Amino acid sequence: MNVLIVEDERSLSHEIEIYLTKQSFNCDVAFTGKTAADKIHTNSYDFILLDLGLPDVDGLELLKDAKKANSEASFIVITARGEVEDKVTGLDLGADDYISKPFALAELQSRMQAILRRKHGLKNNTMNIHDFVMDIQNRTVVANGQSINLTKKEFDLLHYLGLHKNRVLTRMQLTEHIWGDVLEDDYDSNYIDVHVKNLRKKLAAHGSIDWFETVRGIGYRVNA
Amino acid sequence: MRLQIKFAIYNALSKALIIAAFGAALPVVVEKIVYDHIDKRLIARTERVMKIIHRGGIEDIKAEQDCSFESYNILKEEFIAIRPILTTDKIPALQVLENKQWNIEGENLNHRTIRTPFVYDNQLYELNIGEGLSTIDQLKSTISKFSLWMMIGVVLLSIFIDLGFVRVLLRPFNRIVTSKLQPTISPTSFNFARVRSSTFEFNQLDHSINDMMQKIKDAFLIEKEFISNVSHELQTPISILQNRLENIIVDEKVPEEVTLKLIESQKTLTRMSKIIKALLLISKIENDQYLKNESVKIVELLDEVLEEIEERLQQRNIQLVKQFHDDFQYSPCNRTLLFTLFFNIVNNAIKYNKEGGNIIITTQKAETNFIVEIKDTGIGIEESQVKNIFDRFKRLNQSNAEGYGLGLPIVKTIAAFHHIEMKVESQQNVGTTFKLIL
Repeated sequence: MNVLIVEDERSLSHEIEIYLTKQSFNCDVAFTGKTAADKIHTNSYDFILLDLGLPDVDGLELLKDAKKANSEASFIVITARGEVEDKVTGLDLGADDYISKPFALAELQSRMQAILRRKHGLKNNTMNIHDFVMDIQNRTVVANGQSINLTKKEFDLLHYLGLHKNRVLTRMQLTEHIWGDVLEDDYDSNYIDVHVKNLRKKLAAHGSIDWFETVRGIGYRVNA
Repeated sequence: MRLQIKFAIYNALSKALIIAAFGAALPVVVEKIVYDHIDKRLIARTERVMKIIHRGGIEDIKAEQDCSFESYNILKEEFIAIRPILTTDKIPALQVLENKQWNIEGENLNHRTIRTPFVYDNQLYELNIGEGLSTIDQLKSTISKFSLWMMIGVVLLSIFIDLGFVRVLLRPFNRIVTSKLQPTISPTSFNFARVRSSTFEFNQLDHSINDMMQKIKDAFLIEKEFISNVSHELQTPISILQNRLENIIVDEKVPEEVTLKLIESQKTLTRMSKIIKALLLISKIENDQYLKNESVKIVELLDEVLEEIEERLQQRNIQLVKQFHDDFQYSPCNRTLLFTLFFNIVNNAIKYNKEGGNIIITTQKAETNFIVEIKDTGIGIEESQVKNIFDRFKRLNQSNAEGYGLGLPIVKTIAAFHHIEMKVESQQNVGTTFKLIL
């Protein structure tokens, strides 16, 4: 998977690069709109992560142009502004998703995976976690032929943990994924624990969940 | 009371007062003038009579039995009388002018009278010349009546004229008040159109108000832009730190105690980012950067909020009571903002509740509006503090809950954006009630 990171903040670009490289993506970077345009016209990418707030060109113009030059690529627009209009225009211009700063890298990765799933149709539409089979399309979980009734948040939680198998996800990463843009007053929320507790209870009724690990003080991990 | 009416009342009263004073003084003045004239006439007559007497004209009188003489005209308006003064009488010293009842043929009539004592033939006499006052009294009453009607007429007329004139005079002033001093308008929608007037002071006033509004607007816009720019500029460095920490935490080689510290640091960063987002949200709403073009079913929205917040209820073991009597299609509105509004209020009700407490949400149609009431059985706040709960960064009673104190300011801003009236009642240790009137 080839990824082009168009981001004028070198440090941020670097962190994204480190993370995605670890997740086996091939990363290329561009710090200006001009180099980005050059690279987009010469190379072929699967993903283009585009910061709209570039100093030299209008991000939305670049998106329009890049979309023509690299029609196979999936676009994720990054912005620090979180402007509704930008989001709408960005999606109208063909961006596949939109993420606003600051974001968790785990979240970025899961968005990329979601786009991949959408693009490649039904091929990769189930996820197996030991005895449990998740149907991503229909949002159901089945264990030993019995379906388990999960709430939307419980399903998202399990799916997110499953996507990042063998890696600890912090409470914050999980919170951000589940609640996303809900602007609330609590920054130190352990509400995620309530959902984990409920989720575990439901899963445990249908099989062993030794693989569902609590990492003390940090968060949770699903072991393969 | 309106300025115009005050002016009219003042003018009417002052005119009434002047006319009343004039009306009261007029009879006295008239009397004085008339008496002056009469007195002059009487003195002149006395002189003429005295001349006649000294020429010996009194002999006829002496021929009379009682040595007195009396003559009056047919209407009894004038008379001349000469009487001897007896030694037993008090001797008058000088000529005296006075009003006196004079009996003429059994009729008591009021006369202006001049009495002049004189000596003739070693006998002391008194000459009385009088002029009737009935015509003068009539004159006085006519003048009083006239001035009374005059007064009423002038006062009424002046009220009308003043109302009209003051209205014209104050028109620019009223225009300034109605177009520029509305309490609800935000600096972005100030009306800078000049109000023309031929009155110097009003021009000055309009000019000064415009100047002040311009300054307020500039300051407002600078503040908003500043907040917006700062927010944007801060999110990027936070983002860098956030992602760097994430990369380090993922690294298996990092010892656990370091990881825990890094997670704490991440929380701090998140807190910072949320504060910035909240400030940016408030500034964007205040800048009218949100659209208001959606239609929402309130009960549906409340259910959504409650679903989103259920784990918090569970965690604190709080019982939620829904009393949704009516639903309401609310439009135009901004769904996302309304969601945030209700979310923050319910979240607040959870945060400041007691373990195992209640939250009662009621929706009800009223005559002309729709009322949503969110009542908790929480710790409440002092009545004197209620007005402060919407202030940014103000934290009250927050020893047991975390937050950055922007939840309710956001609520207030969103409510103002939608022109939703909000009433808060709170009693310490009993609970708080938020009442929203849509």
